[in-house]
Amino acid sequence: MEQFSQQLINALVLGGIYALIAVGYTMVYGIIELINFAHGEIFMFGAYFAFTLVTVFNLPFWVALPLSMLLCAGIGMLMDLVAYRPLRNAARLSALITAIGVSIGLQNLARIIWGARQRPFPSESLPAFLRQGIPPSEPLSAFSLTETAIALPGGAFLPYRDLCIILLALALMIALNRLVSLTKIGKAMRACAQNRVAANLMGINTNRVIVITFAIGSALGAVAGVMVGIKEIIEPTMGYYKGVAAFAAAVLGGIGNITGAMVGGLLIGFAEVFGAGYIPYGYGSGYRVAIAYIVMIAVIIIRPSGLFGKSTATRA
Amino acid sequence: MRNWLVGLLIVGLVSVWGCQPAGKDQQESQREVRVAVAGPFTGNAAAFGEMIKRGAELRAKEINEAGGINGMKLTLVFGDDAGTEKEARAVATRFATDRRILAVVGHFNSACSLAGKGIYKENGIVELSPGSTNVSVCEGSDWTFRNLYRDDFQGEFIAKYIKNVLTEFKSVGVLFDNDDYGRGLKDAFAAEAEAVGLNIVTAEAYDRENTDFKAQLTSIKAKNPDVIFISGLYGQAALIVKQAREAGITAQFFGADGIDSPDFLTIAGVAANGTYLTTPFTFGGGGEEAARVAEAFAAEFGVAPDTWAALTYDATDMIAEAIGKTYNREATLAENRKAIRDYLASLDTPEEGYKGITGLTYFDKNGDTVNKPAYVKIVKDGKFTTAPQQLLNLESQE
Repeated sequence: MEQFSQQLINALVLGGIYALIAVGYTMVYGIIELINFAHGEIFMFGAYFAFTLVTVFNLPFWVALPLSMLLCAGIGMLMDLVAYRPLRNAARLSALITAIGVSIGLQNLARIIWGARQRPFPSESLPAFLRQGIPPSEPLSAFSLTETAIALPGGAFLPYRDLCIILLALALMIALNRLVSLTKIGKAMRACAQNRVAANLMGINTNRVIVITFAIGSALGAVAGVMVGIKEIIEPTMGYYKGVAAFAAAVLGGIGNITGAMVGGLLIGFAEVFGAGYIPYGYGSGYRVAIAYIVMIAVIIIRPSGLFGKSTATRA
Repeated sequence: MRNWLVGLLIVGLVSVWGCQPAGKDQQESQREVRVAVAGPFTGNAAAFGEMIKRGAELRAKEINEAGGINGMKLTLVFGDDAGTEKEARAVATRFATDRRILAVVGHFNSACSLAGKGIYKENGIVELSPGSTNVSVCEGSDWTFRNLYRDDFQGEFIAKYIKNVLTEFKSVGVLFDNDDYGRGLKDAFAAEAEAVGLNIVTAEAYDRENTDFKAQLTSIKAKNPDVIFISGLYGQAALIVKQAREAGITAQFFGADGIDSPDFLTIAGVAANGTYLTTPFTFGGGGEEAARVAEAFAAEFGVAPDTWAALTYDATDMIAEAIGKTYNREATLAENRKAIRDYLASLDTPEEGYKGITGLTYFDKNGDTVNKPAYVKIVKDGKFTTAPQQLLNLESQE
């Protein structure tokens, strides 16, 4: 039981991170039908920016996090302006290949700036409750709070940092959902997603909408990057590894659909953690990423457009 | 008409330009010899790669300052295999077919040495690894050598050490990197652990993409082993010990040479303390020459060298020595490459062996080094220290 509830927590945290990244993939795809492979690199830059802001510029974490989001939003916008806008009406394949190029370019840029070695986020720069959770030495009989974590009865254990990741992911998702469904820019986004040419004819500045989409997706990716940075490690390839899983999550949920990306992210997180935790003889743990893909493939065999995707006839 | 003229012009230019480098090349080969160094300069073993690069650079600099190899400058060419088989194959092909390169120091990761082995053999060029410990790295190729022990020895050693020295520990959980190194070492360890009566309660794998080990650690925690043996590289091992402490695991950690990097300490922080590990070399156990090299290294690069810098320093020097003893300007590339191999292969007895800063190196018929001992280190206050009880007194007990 302890093991199960602990795995549940592990899966929620991982799933929350995947969901945050997956939203960035899905938003861009929804509007310009481009799989922005460089989104994983934005996520990686988010972690590096926050790292640099706290170590080099000595800024407090709570300033570094929003600043890193802003910087990543900037990179996202720049990326659209420089790499994708000139190809807006070109064949889709050209944009896709450009995306792969941007991804490789950014990854190597990070390598040049910060080096290839892995770096831990300096924990002394974090507020106390976000630091590594140290569990109580004795299993507790009841729910209780320690300095860095919540201890659940039976020994399961939830660091505040992980709780923050889950809550932050949830809050940002709800905010995004409200933004898209209630605001004017959200309405413009939906219009662009339905038919960009028609939206343009109706007086919507589609280029502006697209740039804003890139900015929002990138800012969310940055949050995920910082969270992974403080929880795990910062390295130039982190965007690739987490990005691919998040992309699978976006596809699983139905690419282009924001709710789908959230649900997909959680599902991939659960598949990975429970696959690794419960499939015996090392088959589960050694192939946890593969298990996540098997789940994704199984879903799209049954529902080719993903869980929440609408099936549309391919235009000739 | 005009196109035709332009075409002719290009052909002319290319042929003139094409002749020059050939002539220049020959002249240059009189003045310099090239040795390649292949290692993980990027990717998740990049900290090792950096040390490997610096170890080789230091030795090359010293050789050149002392007048080079028989008056020829030693030039190093670096190739980044990123610790992956795919890149290793590309790097191996590039080096093996480069007509100026005489021998290769590398690769580091066992999977990379194995991936390159066939290519080096086919092209007849020496591959001397300063870091690959998988049992089969040198098997089946006359061209692959290494100057450190194999994992069958290391795995057996660790199992014996836990059994005989850390006697209060009875059960072991294993967490291994699902590549040639991690799997091979785990198998060697598990076989010996079973033989000496340690109880292996679980073996969980992870792959190079993993940075979140909570799922594996939660299942290990349920089995409650006394010791957790990590068969993998420093970066992920550091995250494992960190996340394990957070998951409330209090077991003793034991690692192998794959976690012997200063980066293990910086990434894991306080969680690293108390971790045992084995390694093929320690500067503390080395002689005066090792101390001199450590000082020169620190003066040059501003950081202390690690085990891999030392082994690469020796490997580079061995190749340089082989070139110095065998290189013939009149001979073809293939003959010179072969002469280096034959020279290394001739170092097959303790008397013939190469005496470097990491001790005596000599090869068996496979190209393996079987005489080098394993040392045990323990992390104390964020530093590697030599464990009080070592192999030597352990063996004399038996």
